[in-house]
Amino acid sequence: MTPLAWLVLVGVGSPAALFAILAAASLIAPAAPPLRRPFTARREQWTARIAGAFIAASFVALSLAIAVNGSATRLLSYGDWSASREGGIAIEFLVDRLSLAFAALSAAICGVVSAFSNRYLHRERGYNRYFVLLAMFVTGMLLVALAGNVAVLFIGWELVGLSSALLVGFFHERPAPVSNALRVLSVYRISDAAMLSAAVMLRSIAGTDSLALLFSGGIGAVSTVGLTETSATIIAVLLIVAVAGKSALLPFSSWLPRAMEGPTPSSAVYYGSLSIHAGCFLLLRSAPLLEHAAGARIFAGALGLATAIFAAIATRVQSDVKSSLAFAALTQVGIIIVEISLGWYTLAFIHIVGHACFRLLQFLSAPNVLHDLHGMEDAIGDRPHAPSWTERLLSERVRRRVFLVALERGFLDSILDRVIVGPFTSIARRLSNIDRRLCNAVMPGDD
Amino acid sequence: MTQAEPRAQTLKNTIDALAHLLPAQGPISIFIHHNTLHALEDLRFEDAVVRAAGQLGTEPFLPEARYRDKLATGRIRAADVETLLREQLGARAGHPVAATGSRFELWRAVALIGIPDAAGRELRWILDETDALAGRRPLWHACLQAVARAGAPTPAEAPAPVRHRDWLNAVHGIDVDAWFHPPLIRFLAGYLDQGLAQWSIPGRARGIHGCFLELYSTALAAQCGAWARTLPRIVDEDRKAGRGALDSIAHSLAALDVADAEWPAYLGAELLALRGWAGIVRQIEERPDRVPARDIMVTLRGYLAVRLLFERAALDEARRAIGFTGPLAGLRPMLRAARPEPPVRSAADRAWPLFHVAKLRGLDAPQVDQWTAAQVAELESELRDIDGFARRRILHQSFERTIRYRFYDALVQHAPRPETPAPAFQAIFCLDEREESIRRHLEEVDPGCETFGAAGFFNVAMYHQGATDAHPRPLCPVAIRPDHYVAEIEEGADRLAGRSRRLGRRAAGFLGYNVHLGSRRAVRGALLMTLFGWLSLVPLILRVVFPWLSSKWAGDHDSRRRTRLLLDRPGAPTAPPAIGSHSGFTVREMADIVRRVLEDVGAAHRLAPLVLVVGHGSISLNNPHESAHDCGACGGGRGGPNARACAQMANDPRVRDLLAAEGLGIDPRTWFVGAQRNTCNNNVTFFDEDRVPSHVAALFARAGEALEVARRREAHERCRRFDAVPRWYPPIAALAHVQGRAADLAQPRPEYGHATNAFCFVGRRARTRGLFLDRRAFLVSYDPDRDADGAILARMMAAAVPVVAGISLEYYFSYVDQTGYGCGTKLPHNVTALLGVMDGAQSDLRTGLPWQMVEIHEPSRLAIVVEAPRERLWRVVEQNPAIARLVRNRWIWLACLDPGTATLWERRDEGFVEHTATGRLPIVTGDSSDWYQGKRGFLAPVSIVPGSAA
Repeated sequence: MTPLAWLVLVGVGSPAALFAILAAASLIAPAAPPLRRPFTARREQWTARIAGAFIAASFVALSLAIAVNGSATRLLSYGDWSASREGGIAIEFLVDRLSLAFAALSAAICGVVSAFSNRYLHRERGYNRYFVLLAMFVTGMLLVALAGNVAVLFIGWELVGLSSALLVGFFHERPAPVSNALRVLSVYRISDAAMLSAAVMLRSIAGTDSLALLFSGGIGAVSTVGLTETSATIIAVLLIVAVAGKSALLPFSSWLPRAMEGPTPSSAVYYGSLSIHAGCFLLLRSAPLLEHAAGARIFAGALGLATAIFAAIATRVQSDVKSSLAFAALTQVGIIIVEISLGWYTLAFIHIVGHACFRLLQFLSAPNVLHDLHGMEDAIGDRPHAPSWTERLLSERVRRRVFLVALERGFLDSILDRVIVGPFTSIARRLSNIDRRLCNAVMPGDD
Repeated sequence: MTQAEPRAQTLKNTIDALAHLLPAQGPISIFIHHNTLHALEDLRFEDAVVRAAGQLGTEPFLPEARYRDKLATGRIRAADVETLLREQLGARAGHPVAATGSRFELWRAVALIGIPDAAGRELRWILDETDALAGRRPLWHACLQAVARAGAPTPAEAPAPVRHRDWLNAVHGIDVDAWFHPPLIRFLAGYLDQGLAQWSIPGRARGIHGCFLELYSTALAAQCGAWARTLPRIVDEDRKAGRGALDSIAHSLAALDVADAEWPAYLGAELLALRGWAGIVRQIEERPDRVPARDIMVTLRGYLAVRLLFERAALDEARRAIGFTGPLAGLRPMLRAARPEPPVRSAADRAWPLFHVAKLRGLDAPQVDQWTAAQVAELESELRDIDGFARRRILHQSFERTIRYRFYDALVQHAPRPETPAPAFQAIFCLDEREESIRRHLEEVDPGCETFGAAGFFNVAMYHQGATDAHPRPLCPVAIRPDHYVAEIEEGADRLAGRSRRLGRRAAGFLGYNVHLGSRRAVRGALLMTLFGWLSLVPLILRVVFPWLSSKWAGDHDSRRRTRLLLDRPGAPTAPPAIGSHSGFTVREMADIVRRVLEDVGAAHRLAPLVLVVGHGSISLNNPHESAHDCGACGGGRGGPNARACAQMANDPRVRDLLAAEGLGIDPRTWFVGAQRNTCNNNVTFFDEDRVPSHVAALFARAGEALEVARRREAHERCRRFDAVPRWYPPIAALAHVQGRAADLAQPRPEYGHATNAFCFVGRRARTRGLFLDRRAFLVSYDPDRDADGAILARMMAAAVPVVAGISLEYYFSYVDQTGYGCGTKLPHNVTALLGVMDGAQSDLRTGLPWQMVEIHEPSRLAIVVEAPRERLWRVVEQNPAIARLVRNRWIWLACLDPGTATLWERRDEGFVEHTATGRLPIVTGDSSDWYQGKRGFLAPVSIVPGSAA
């Protein structure tokens, strides 16, 4: 293996190892008396130290990899995870400037968040669980960033989604976090289904699930694998649906404010900083495919623009700090999608990095909002008035409508409930009734 | 019309009477500790908590298992439980109960060992799957037979549901609250918002109900949820009929068929369904001056009207869902008929407690076989008297007694330290229990000093506007509305520098505001993020990874300006100030303030050449409950300006002349210096240092040095309670540690605030000097020898007792039920409308204290010991109805320490009862750290005597 391959292996492997170690510790804990006592500061310290060391190792390795790799694009293969006649699942990483930079950024941000969380979650029940999920998340983010084929991408995508939903439901003794976690998870499933369909299509048409050609080969490469514009558009649209679910674009946006149930740092790293940009990043990676599919590009641009406008209005009326930040973040995500669809890739990437850092800080200090606003008021000498021309331009009647729509988050929840959830559950209920009747016929008497 | 008006009045009165059920917590940025169950103070504490448990679904005491742990570790003494039982059972103690021995024996066994709660399926599982019956099957069968002999059980009265929602939930499992609460909360938070959202709600001046009617009468409102189909119609009908809030409520109640007699019960249940939000509505209605928004018109009836409109729409849909076609009025009678019968207690359920009693009392199967039906009935009724609540009550009382008596023991056994004849300097602190430690350390560092405790507003009730404050803020106990407005101004030759500093601050403020705002906008936000976003990594890493460093930098640039407090009433009549009725104080008023402070603490006749007046406050980051750590006597504000004003008044020659003429001579060489201590990072700031005359400069330097050492030691003592700080932590690092905490974004426990408070001592410091009280005692200075008529005691108790009782009880409730009374863990808190916090994405507004603030607390009612003759104390208490009520109903414990001797009497129902010391007070030689170093948990009081070297 080349030094670069080693560096990338350490970069991705150390969060994965961290995940394995912490998860194993959780599993063993009930059986091992020294680990069983919940609130020991010692155990917390060890968890935090190990987490810090592994994430730092990952960051250092990935930074070195950037230096070693330069501007080249390489596909690193680490062998097959499974193999069959039709081709198996290979462990492959696609390494270029974009993927390594995003991976290093993810590691750095997760390192800061892990330092933050160590103190923030001190003495909290579920401290260890939190760090297990955080490790799962870093692993997922790095896999998404560096994936060399659809299988690896999908595994990363799933790890991000699963850890996200589990952290939304972190406080599972209350009903609201659990139901909101389920909501998040179900939107993610739609997104996953779209992504899986795209992968299957790609494989059946192009005969490969490698992303190397797709992500970095340019237009020529895309056409060489035999994609027509129509099939490219279909695959791209499916990808955009996957992106829309993960990055809370319309019409899925309503899950984002609902996801603010976990501890503050988890909301920060997922919905302020990294997970929310995973979709943008994927779209950025698939730029060559998009360039081959003009219709999909327009679709993505329109979706991004609509999301940005919707979120910019919604954030203006939110009266709690976390929802307000959620829609503010979504506004920028929408704009980033527009930038990608316009082909401004570098700008989009800088935008992602800047936004991820800034919003992370803003989310982490969300509980400080009273202190901050008070400080600004004192410095300015009076309560600052936000001059809002949008507000002044509209008539009272229109303003009321707009306000209500924004307050109710575009009624997206009830629309989704009616259009998707309702029919789905009614089918499920019918199937369940049929099932019960069948069972009763076979085994009467036992309910 | 003539009939409608009294009806509306009745409705209004009903709502006003119900409002007392709601939490009385105001906006979170002015956090004032209060008794969570203030409304029930007319009841005995023990009855009130049980009543509240029924009304609010909260816990009255800790879980029984927690008390059993405390029994096992000796935190509760079994002997105390026995004594208490004997006291409470009185003559009934000896009576035999149903052939199980005396009542005392039965209660003792049940209280100390307990009966595991189990019934129904759980019990069946226990019987089938565990060895609960191991070796005792005959006894179990005997118990089952005894139950069978006793005949049918008395049916338990299950409380009937009140609201339509409760009925639907009980019968069909449909919870309409879950449907309409989310939009209701969004609307309400949007309406009440104090500046978090950029757009304020349209039509805000119309009041909650009026604004709602305008906003929700469009057809769009039907999209609020699948349940909201009829919402626009209901709202529009209300709007067209031109109903006010009260009319709307009456109309809704009529539509729901709620009879007038049922109003209190029904509306009470409605209010409690979202009691945090309803509570803040009530608070703003009563004190609109406490919130900045001026264009809102908040009424509880407006909220109720909106709530009922939402609810009617949701009920309409629920009615459709269960296939009921009649009007809403007929819904409850229909559901009542469909309500399932409550399950009957099975024989096993009834035999289970009997089995445990038999086991505890050492009975065997043949003996149980002897029980007659009447005896079983008697035993069952006796067991109802000593149910879970009763057991927890007794255990809790014993627990408190153990804590309280240890304090009493210490007070009677501690040898009073004679007052220093000529103290080098004196320091008056707030009576706050967090000052107990710094006072002790200061006295240990410099034995020549003397400390006092007084209510931390030092009798200066004012609106204060600091030189860098945008608005004035009241600094006095919440019961007082100040008349006086006092401004702080920058002064000195460096006017130009001051001006440029102000401009710089303003620019920084605008920059911060524009970043705050811009980050939420689309185009501006995109520019900001793309160009400067990565820059935020710097503060991020600094604040999170190196908090102590950032605290250093932040602290450096603020201390350079020189300011003055404008205390004098302007000579010429001027325009009245923005708030309050006068600017500044007259000399007369100042003299009265100074006299009162000096008389209260008993220092008027023996002033040292230097007197420090030290207020306190607390600054922390990422902490919505920041204000809860500030000074309670300053109404949740920082007491530095009060200390400064008090010192400045006492230094004023005109004030001294006036006082001297009235017999209170202050030596012209005596000087007062005001200061503020930040209880979080332990910084001490002195005010007007430049005015300290040269003849006390040396003394001031000595006091400053002593305070410097004391604050380091105090930080060290505080660190022992932080779990993340190792036990061996060296004193030298402790100050940096607490400073780091205060500047750390990631720190949910910047300080522990009032946690662990348990006692209050009113009397001479001589009685407590050298006594280690573990930061648990409020210390109020009072000289019983100079107050024959009790006037000083009366005014002091009136100011201090409500504050300390409020703190103690708020901590009690927030600890005992962290979700019902407290606001749970801080981690998912979400600041809403700048008024309070919600859990996560959306919830009821959470009142009370977060778990991170109270986690090391011990829930016990405050024990107040007053050093004064009994007759004087009781006279003072009886003259103050509020305090008398607290004492009589046992919301606080009151005891009296005889000034001359070491006798202590506790106030009980039968009068003052002399306390006999049980343990011996240990003596530790050296200083406080010799006792606390390396220890984590609660520490018993000890006498600390200086080492022989001293």
